[in-house]
Amino acid sequence: MMRAPDRAVALAGALSAVLVLTACRASGSSGSSGAGVKTVAVSLTDAGCSPAALQIAAGPTTFVVTNQGADAVTEFEIVKDGTIVGEVENVAAGLERSFSLNVDAGTYETRCPGGTDAATGTLTATGAAASSTGAASASVDAAVVAYRTYIETKTDQLVARTRVFTAAVLAGDQERARSTFAWAREPYEAIEPVAEAFGDLDPEIDARANDVPANTWTGFHRLEKALWVDRSLAGMAPVATKLRADVAKLHALVRTVELDPAQIANGATELLGEVSKSKITGEEDRYSHTDLWDFRSNVDGAQAAFVALRPLLAERDPALAALIAARFGAVDRALDPYRRGSGFVPYTDLDDNDTRTLSSTIDALAEPLSKVAGTVVGA
Amino acid sequence: MLAAIGAGAAGTALGVAAGAAVASERNEADVQRQDGPVPFWGGHQAGIATAAQDRLHLATFDVVSERRADVRELLRAWTAAAASMTQGGPAGAPAPNALLPPTDTGEATGLAPGNLTVTFGVGPSLFAHDGQDRFGIAARRPPALIDLPAFAGDELDPTRTGGDVVVQACSDDPQVAFHAVRNLGRIGRGVVVPRWSQMGFGRTSSTTRAQVTPRNLMGFKDGTNNLRGDDPGAMDTNVWVGAEGPAWMRGGSYMVTRRIRILVEVWDRANLDDQQQTIGREKDNGAPLGRQAEFDAVPLGERGSDGKPVVPVDAHIRLAAPSTNDGVSILRRGYSFTDGIDPVTGQLDAGLFFICFQRDPRTQFVPLQHRLASSDALNEYIKHVGSGIFAVPPGAQPGGFVGESLFD
Repeated sequence: MMRAPDRAVALAGALSAVLVLTACRASGSSGSSGAGVKTVAVSLTDAGCSPAALQIAAGPTTFVVTNQGADAVTEFEIVKDGTIVGEVENVAAGLERSFSLNVDAGTYETRCPGGTDAATGTLTATGAAASSTGAASASVDAAVVAYRTYIETKTDQLVARTRVFTAAVLAGDQERARSTFAWAREPYEAIEPVAEAFGDLDPEIDARANDVPANTWTGFHRLEKALWVDRSLAGMAPVATKLRADVAKLHALVRTVELDPAQIANGATELLGEVSKSKITGEEDRYSHTDLWDFRSNVDGAQAAFVALRPLLAERDPALAALIAARFGAVDRALDPYRRGSGFVPYTDLDDNDTRTLSSTIDALAEPLSKVAGTVVGA
Repeated sequence: MLAAIGAGAAGTALGVAAGAAVASERNEADVQRQDGPVPFWGGHQAGIATAAQDRLHLATFDVVSERRADVRELLRAWTAAAASMTQGGPAGAPAPNALLPPTDTGEATGLAPGNLTVTFGVGPSLFAHDGQDRFGIAARRPPALIDLPAFAGDELDPTRTGGDVVVQACSDDPQVAFHAVRNLGRIGRGVVVPRWSQMGFGRTSSTTRAQVTPRNLMGFKDGTNNLRGDDPGAMDTNVWVGAEGPAWMRGGSYMVTRRIRILVEVWDRANLDDQQQTIGREKDNGAPLGRQAEFDAVPLGERGSDGKPVVPVDAHIRLAAPSTNDGVSILRRGYSFTDGIDPVTGQLDAGLFFICFQRDPRTQFVPLQHRLASSDALNEYIKHVGSGIFAVPPGAQPGGFVGESLFD
């Protein structure tokens, strides 16, 4: 799991349905916001949403949500025909978080769960929404389309595989659950920085035991502990059900992501940071020791990002592109000794020499890869 | 057996120059970096408000004796030795003949103390362990001396955590700091065993207004908004234990140590924007984002033209700021460290050995760290791998010793 919300992926809708989410922090090369973005302030109070009836002009809008001291109200959602089109969560008392939306004209419902009198409200947007501006060159468009296709495919896979894994859990079939655990996680680990951008979805899906308070621990690793340590699935049905729901949520949100080349590149660098921090050390999958599956998926995801960017990068710095490609090859070969069937040996089979070698090949790849964002943005 | 130091007043028995043994009447808070040695005796132990020296050697020990008298005698002997060494003297009076091993190990002979301070503390486990009142002092354990809770993301190595007693030696000369700890360890042979130790090679905080802000291993200035040891009002409010007591702790403080591993290789390939947004400051001159100079007030309420806060919501300096933590403020006095190469990854085992002092960890360090552990952008690049909490007794006067009133 990655820890803090990341500036990697700012998100904007492009065409019709217009869902725009931004992570808490502006990215270095801000993709979407600029001239014409309006800011609207929303307060969370014990009553709920304030103001309860929002009137805004349609178009790109940043909602700044401040919790004025309400302990029971920590979320703000904008809903159209029953679907959440924009939201922000975990706005604790005294905190403030924001998100952006390109709001079409029309009426919406607002929701502040936990409020007393104003747990729901209305939002009316009048006028015409500006269409988001396209990116400049054909290579940029191609890179974004290629990577978008990749992450959407991965979330399709994730939903399907998680369904199989959680079905085994719900049926009480420990053997099948253990044998599908690492396989189900692969698509998630390939796109983890994208999941990271959606606030708490990443900890809810992927937190390890010491990342969150015990009574809020959910997701893959909670089930992992039940399967490998407790050897019992008692009480795990709600955890499995929630994992399915969270993965479905991710699937929907990923389709709203706005991508630009710098963010794609930064995501690749972060995937390799993940490998360095918790896969090489065996901390990720402490009970099943399936860390090498996650390792390979993190690298695959980084490679998909690089492949999407390669034509663009080759225009600017062909030598760097070739170097990175060669280093990806070296990582692939470094994993060879540990392959078994379609998977890998358990992490515990590796000794310090093995992990050091893997670690240094990752560092050798990550260093030139970290230059891609700055190179493709140019200047 | 404790190595014999000599009876009577610590100063003369050690053959130290008479002037150095005179009790200091000055308030520790007045002590700046100075040309002469840092006074040892006083109302507060030195090494807290003292201007941070360049080097650290800190060691924790576990008591292996079961006798209260041994612990008491240890503290007395350690006090005597520290009083001498901090003034440039030897750890013990010279042995009368060559058939005896030297009482001082010798590597600091001829070296100036370099502002050496030696500070002692006691951990929760000294008072009781596995429910046993080891030395008859369990009832005197201060309520503020808690066992630290687990914080999100902790990866604590038990062999780098805890300790019955701690010795913090700071000096501008690493050899002097090491010599102090080594000799104290020797004096304690048979009563204590070393538990873990830490060398630090660069201060990561300024503790007085005169000091230039140093840089930590992330390349950022660290300690800009630190509490100042030469601000007596702030020290009394935030650091020194007052009337809330217990009596034996008045004038003392609580020390929390955290060994924080920095994932250097990962940090180094983060881009400059990311690094600055993570910390909340410019890397080059230490100015808060949105401002020009290091000591400009951090503009927590300010937004950029895009409507977002100029200091991000999860930036380290925002989450650590007293103004966003109900005024909580601690005295930071940490050091950079490196301990070679991590055998698992082949990466540098390096980071920040965080040390802080406060009046009550329950209301200071603990809530602060809970906040950082759950929200700080910095967490992507660091891991807490070691921890300690200690009650640091008040200072002593000649003829007495540190911790004496705990054993009355």
